[in-house]
Amino acid sequence: MSERKSRLTITVDPQLEAYAEQLVETGQAASVSAAFNDAMTEKAYRDRHRRGLWKARSDQADPLRVARMMAAIDRQLAQ
Amino acid sequence: MTGPAGIPLILDTSVLIAIARGDPDIIGLVQAYDSRAQPLVIPALATVGASLDARSEEADDLLAGLELLGHATAAPLRGVGQATRLADVIARTGLDPWDAHTAAVADAAVCPVLTLHPAKWHEPGAALDAPLHIIEITDPDDPEGSGQLA
Repeated sequence: MSERKSRLTITVDPQLEAYAEQLVETGQAASVSAAFNDAMTEKAYRDRHRRGLWKARSDQADPLRVARMMAAIDRQLAQ
Repeated sequence: MTGPAGIPLILDTSVLIAIARGDPDIIGLVQAYDSRAQPLVIPALATVGASLDARSEEADDLLAGLELLGHATAAPLRGVGQATRLADVIARTGLDPWDAHTAAVADAAVCPVLTLHPAKWHEPGAALDAPLHIIEITDPDDPEGSGQLA
């Protein structure tokens, strides 16, 4: 994957734009672009963590029990 | 085969609580539905109820993980019209806001509700103009019933 940054036009809520500009003004972000870059990096991390949590739990599921529950649901839906 | 003709299934608070508590079989069930492209609906206020029950970061991560599934959609409470419709459902059924939002979504969309606790829906369901289609998540081989998991 290229390290070169790409240009992107986005539309954001006014309060989030104001917060991003505040981060820049107070020196907590180098630019508004950097602030949104950081936010997306954080979201990507959180989403990966959540997917991993779901996978870990579903790996512990009893597949036969899950199949029985699905069959019972199918029977009720067919009524 | 589930959800005839791809009819969305609505998850109620009891199912979301089981997910928030990390119940592997319920999470496995939801994941299996998603892998079969079965549309699932998550009422926003039912999620509030589940989060209040569990109160942990991991529980909230598990609940938020629902939205990362390919075929699950959150049903928000949007606008004054939906808010007053929810108030009407609460007044008529006596349900708490978490379950009442599930009932309001099911009533408007005419979709079945998946639950671990079907008994709680009997009376409220009858108070609505059209009866709700309540589907119990149960394991026929479990004498205790899978509702005991939640």
